[in-house]
Amino acid sequence: MSFIKLTNITKYFSDSSIPAVQSIDLSIEKGEILTLLGPSGCGKTTTLRMLAGFEHPSEGSIEIDGREVFNETNSLPPEKRGIGMVFQDYALFPHMTILKNVMFGLNKWTARERKARAHEVLQLVGLEDYATRYPAQLSGGQQQRVALARALAPKPHVVLMDEPFSNLDAGLREKMRYEVTAILRKANTTAIIVTHDQKDAFAVSDRVVVMKDGVIQQIAAPKEMYRCPKNCFVAQFVGKTNLLTGTMDDDLRHIHTHIGKVSLPQQWQERLETVKLSIRPEGCQLTDKGAYCGAVERVTYGGEYQELYIRLHNEPHLSEEPMLIYASIDQDVEVGAIVSFDIKPELVALVE
Amino acid sequence: MRNFWLQLWRGNPPGPILFLIGTMTAVLMSVPIIYVAWEALNAGADRWLRLLDDRIPGLLWNTGKLTFMVSLFAVTIGVSLAWFVNRTNLPFRKQWQWLLALPLVIPPYVGAVAYIIVTGPRGWLYDLWQSQRWLQAVFSEYPLTIYSFWGVFFILTLFTYPYVFLIASAALRKMNRNYEEVARSQGLNTAQIFWKVNLPFLRPAIGAGAILIALYVLSDFGAIAMLRYNTFTAAIYYQMGSYDTTSATVLSVVLIVLTLSVLWIEARTRRKQQYYQTTNTYREPEVLPLGKWKWPVFFFVGIVFFFAVLLPVVVLIYWSVIGWKAGTIDLNFWQYAWNSIKVAGLASVLSMALALPIIYMKSRYPSVLTQAIEKLSYAGYALPGVIVAIGMIYVYSQYFTFLYNTYYLIALAFVIRFLPQAMNAGEASLSLVSPRMDEAARSLGHPPWRVMINIIIPSILPGILAGGALVFVSSLKELPATLLLRPPGFDTMAVRIWVDTREAIYHSAAPAALLIILISIIPLKYMLKKY
Repeated sequence: MSFIKLTNITKYFSDSSIPAVQSIDLSIEKGEILTLLGPSGCGKTTTLRMLAGFEHPSEGSIEIDGREVFNETNSLPPEKRGIGMVFQDYALFPHMTILKNVMFGLNKWTARERKARAHEVLQLVGLEDYATRYPAQLSGGQQQRVALARALAPKPHVVLMDEPFSNLDAGLREKMRYEVTAILRKANTTAIIVTHDQKDAFAVSDRVVVMKDGVIQQIAAPKEMYRCPKNCFVAQFVGKTNLLTGTMDDDLRHIHTHIGKVSLPQQWQERLETVKLSIRPEGCQLTDKGAYCGAVERVTYGGEYQELYIRLHNEPHLSEEPMLIYASIDQDVEVGAIVSFDIKPELVALVE
Repeated sequence: MRNFWLQLWRGNPPGPILFLIGTMTAVLMSVPIIYVAWEALNAGADRWLRLLDDRIPGLLWNTGKLTFMVSLFAVTIGVSLAWFVNRTNLPFRKQWQWLLALPLVIPPYVGAVAYIIVTGPRGWLYDLWQSQRWLQAVFSEYPLTIYSFWGVFFILTLFTYPYVFLIASAALRKMNRNYEEVARSQGLNTAQIFWKVNLPFLRPAIGAGAILIALYVLSDFGAIAMLRYNTFTAAIYYQMGSYDTTSATVLSVVLIVLTLSVLWIEARTRRKQQYYQTTNTYREPEVLPLGKWKWPVFFFVGIVFFFAVLLPVVVLIYWSVIGWKAGTIDLNFWQYAWNSIKVAGLASVLSMALALPIIYMKSRYPSVLTQAIEKLSYAGYALPGVIVAIGMIYVYSQYFTFLYNTYYLIALAFVIRFLPQAMNAGEASLSLVSPRMDEAARSLGHPPWRVMINIIIPSILPGILAGGALVFVSSLKELPATLLLRPPGFDTMAVRIWVDTREAIYHSAAPAALLIILISIIPLKYMLKKY
């Protein structure tokens, strides 16, 4: 039995005939951290807001903890759904202290319980000393933790976070990814996070849902998603990749492409004619006697690694994109140099 | 049915109570005016034809002439003053910036009182004239008649130009120097730049200012009637005085049509005015040296200030002192003042309460219905006060007699007249409160009404109070609706100014006029910030 269940959810906004979200089916387990990932306008925030009750789906039903909160005839208002929401701009009430903000959702509790619970969650996010301050006196990262504490305080069924890291600068962002996950795990809560950043998604979640144009593209654990993207969109959206077309060898294990024969991680079940391949740049390693050989066309220094764009020798025509591979930064590679490399089958995937 | 309702609200309908309050406010706001129109349509062809033949052409000519001339001159004065103050090395330009906006606090009918005292028959100038035999020898008769077209024109221009001045100043301050420098680099000289770059840029401001003035002149009653000129508002008022209410409604409908056509022009021009630019490359415009024109321009600016602020205020102070010595500031005076404050205060509190649901709906639940509610709430604001008063007399003397002839009705009329002022101020504050705040509160288990009390009202309280202050001051100054709706014997300051000036008891009118000016200064700071 899944804890949260979206069945066949479709949403049309009144000024458009194209659905913002189309026939979404999604089940979330209790205690799971799930990320909705996609480019802007893909319907991920709309999905989140429908779950929270701020938008009404045009069709479908939503179930939280065994209770149907939305169906064709009935819609429970947001205040009765038992959700905790963390907004992109945190939406802390500026006229209340941190403690009052956190206690705001506990109005049905007794005064003593409220105080105790508020201090408990503030302790959980490590901001107990800030209880009497006002939101404007806190840094971005602290505000976010307050927002999270406020959402967690009433012990909601699920915490929904809309682009939680997008307002933070790079260094803080990495730190908050870790802290937010740690807090969510410690509180043992179910959480759904919306983000457009694949690094956020991979760092914090058990499972990632990639969406595009209102349709779910793939649902998988981060590692699986990276190694075996289901289609071209996922392959390109989640990290960088080389997309090639080719034909399948008779052994069902190798693909013939314009760069040569590429090995798959395992034997394929059925015979396909033309196929698309995704080869991750991390899967290509420079070696002295590699199977693939070419001239370096462009080098981009990326900080942690170098991006090499390589034009293969055996390429029949130049219209193809050059191969992208990563090289560690201690290797000196000049434009025009001839290099050879191997491809690890584990980072090769057939895509739709 | 449910789907249709949802679709109407783009999937996000407001709660039934909020919707009901909003709708009822809109009805309250618009019913008197609808009633006027309805009465006029049922006035019968005879009456319409007679009025069209007899009264309306003359009134149209009078009203049109006045509106056109005042708009033209107020715009000319306002724009030129704004230009001098913002773009030239005029001495004391920082001080002029607010000194020249001061006439805003003097209601035109109060200005009229001052000028009646100065130039009217038996006024100061007249006495001066009589004492100088040579003047009589040259001109034979006393040439100034304030009770004339030119008198009304002079007063209205003098006390309405600040609207244009403020709008034009705001536009000039937003003007980017880059454009002028581009023009200069293309070989244009200062005069050419003014005509080809600056003036086109100012066109939206000029248009907006002219429309504002035109609407003001169309709706003004006090100054026009005091100076015994005849436009629609005055005619409607006197028609009511002679108990020919049906004719009054017919004239009202003509005035409504006039007002709506000005508003229609405004809506059309506003669509085209999107050339404000505030890019991050903004640089303050260059200050032009006036050279040998410096002192003539200073003289011009000073003259405007003298006539629009200094002279009227000095005259009113002088007569207030006379009044004080004669004992006019007695218990009766404080009774009028208290009556004014009571009615205006009630109107202000009601406006704050009624504005809240409407602006909240407008901001959080946009839909066709919300738009209709908002538009209807503007009905009494856009249209002249006499029309609102007539509609209220009709509706309340027939259906709500318990309110008729009480001062509550005056307060209600003020709400109908000035609610949008409270709405505008509140809206500005509400636009700063992200809808995410509401959603955060909802997700924390609070139903909408508690969100309103705990989150929205505390956040926008300053804006709401500012709106209330604006309504208070506007109500204090209001004349026609007060005159038409007041219960017998209920006098306010505005009423006393009106009555005493007509009977030439200046030392009794002046203290009330001065007090109104003093109270009007309170929201000036807010109003200046708005432009």
